[in-house]
Amino acid sequence: MKVSKEVRDIAEEILRQGQVGGVLGLSSEHGHVGPHLFSSTDDLGTLVLEPRYMLAKVCRMILADFPGERLGVVARGCDERALIEMAKLGQVDLSRLDLIGVACSEAQARECACPHPYPRRIDVGEPVQGVAFADTECAQQASEQDLVARQAFWTHAFSRCIKCYGCRNVCPVCICAECSLEDASWVARGKISPEISFHLIRAFHVADKCVGCGACDAACPVDIPLTRLYAQMREKMKEMFGYEIGLDVTNKSPLTTTLEEAPLHGL
Amino acid sequence: MSERPFQPRIIAFCCNWCSYAGADLAGVSRLQMPSNFKVIRVMCSARVAPEWIIKALSSGVDGVMVLGCHIGDCHYISGNHRAAKRFAVLREMLGCVGINPDRLLVDWVSASEGPQFQKIVTNFVERVAVLGPGKAAGEQRAKGTSELNGLTQQAEKRE
Amino acid sequence: MDYRTVLTTCPYCGSGCGMYLPVLNGKLGEPIPAKTHPLSQGRLCIKGWSAHEHVASHDRLTKPLVKTGSGFKETTWDEALDLVVTRLLELRDRHGPDSLAFLVSAKCTNEENYLQQKLARAVFGTNNVDHCARL
Repeated sequence: MKVSKEVRDIAEEILRQGQVGGVLGLSSEHGHVGPHLFSSTDDLGTLVLEPRYMLAKVCRMILADFPGERLGVVARGCDERALIEMAKLGQVDLSRLDLIGVACSEAQARECACPHPYPRRIDVGEPVQGVAFADTECAQQASEQDLVARQAFWTHAFSRCIKCYGCRNVCPVCICAECSLEDASWVARGKISPEISFHLIRAFHVADKCVGCGACDAACPVDIPLTRLYAQMREKMKEMFGYEIGLDVTNKSPLTTTLEEAPLHGL
Repeated sequence: MSERPFQPRIIAFCCNWCSYAGADLAGVSRLQMPSNFKVIRVMCSARVAPEWIIKALSSGVDGVMVLGCHIGDCHYISGNHRAAKRFAVLREMLGCVGINPDRLLVDWVSASEGPQFQKIVTNFVERVAVLGPGKAAGEQRAKGTSELNGLTQQAEKRE
Repeated sequence: MDYRTVLTTCPYCGSGCGMYLPVLNGKLGEPIPAKTHPLSQGRLCIKGWSAHEHVASHDRLTKPLVKTGSGFKETTWDEALDLVVTRLLELRDRHGPDSLAFLVSAKCTNEENYLQQKLARAVFGTNNVDHCARL
């Protein structure tokens, strides 16, 4: 594929310059695709771009374990937003990363209902228009349903949960060392499906951080449409505080600032 | 015997510096108000974690109040700023999953506002009584209620 | 920089979900579900997600333990296996082969489980073989 070829060329260039310890991307071997650290130009032939994995989380681990080194990353819009949110939380140092920015295709953007299907600097691909929240199925559903219908919808969805913690484990912004979802005070142990608090606590914790990468949806074995809930919360953050997640590292979450710094309507 | 009207169970998180003192004042002034609520004293309204409210609502509590100092009067300068924003977002989230956001109230009561405390509590209890039992709890309500009774008894014993 | 991912199969049950185990600087990390796996398609259950935890766990037994009057005592594999053999033979001779049962594990390979049932049936002569997952 042409796009993968362009990414390979840029990765090769970065590796030749010798500034980075490796380039993190996806590699296809024996018909399976997974995250791979390309540390020499020899194996770049296996570099591919799909299916998409959340590489930001891997980045964070590698940077933490190799404090002195720089890392190249093949990054889509969602990877970059996740890295920016991690940087706000002091989890990654963006100056140690060389991003190879890949713009998603229109079909990919539609599939994820992605509002920003491209990183700030695009090295490969053409940027396409993001999907506005108002045009998503989620917005339509939210506007049609009243409280009773919403409760029925979410109670049914949450009742399928097998408490695998996959949503939390893949989430690039779920980075707490001690997780409330593992604390028996808030979520009872040994109960499946878990209490509704499991989902509500997680939804609240990511309300001001969720970058809409869709990794939780993809990892859910029982198809709970989590991003529908999180997308609504993202939209509320925008409506209430004009806050957009993952776009500007200097823009702190309004939930951590005072009313002078980020006012709330009516106060 | 006539059917007793629905008596909501309500938890009020009151900050140590203003609203708890306000509640105290309402008490010593012998102001009449419904007795459906339990006060939990916290150091600041910002100390109230969303987990607490979510857990309360999902284990059989019908309404939660978070009462802090008036904006500008916070003992910790801007604690209540964070509480105001945090719970405004939490209210929106409850609405998204179909739990009536009116079950969560955030308001401000100063140490001298006994009557204000009385008014807020009375209005909130009435409002939640109209909303009916918190369905967020579902089948957990029975269990949650016994848990809650246990906690109340423990608290009473300590006092 | 040393970061590798190794494609493998979840060791817990017969479903056989696909996952990558990341190795960062020689340390095993949390599994990454393999999206290209035909069965699991990028999903895992709680067992798969925690499949790496026991490897570096402090609670993990690294030496065989023998139960004595005063609790467990560390021993060598030779001694432990000798004890197992003597006691099993003793029990079989005294109470018959069906006084014994053999439990195998989902965390062992197919081949290891096969050998265990062979031992139970051919050597000791009992059909009392069971398995923790029983799929």
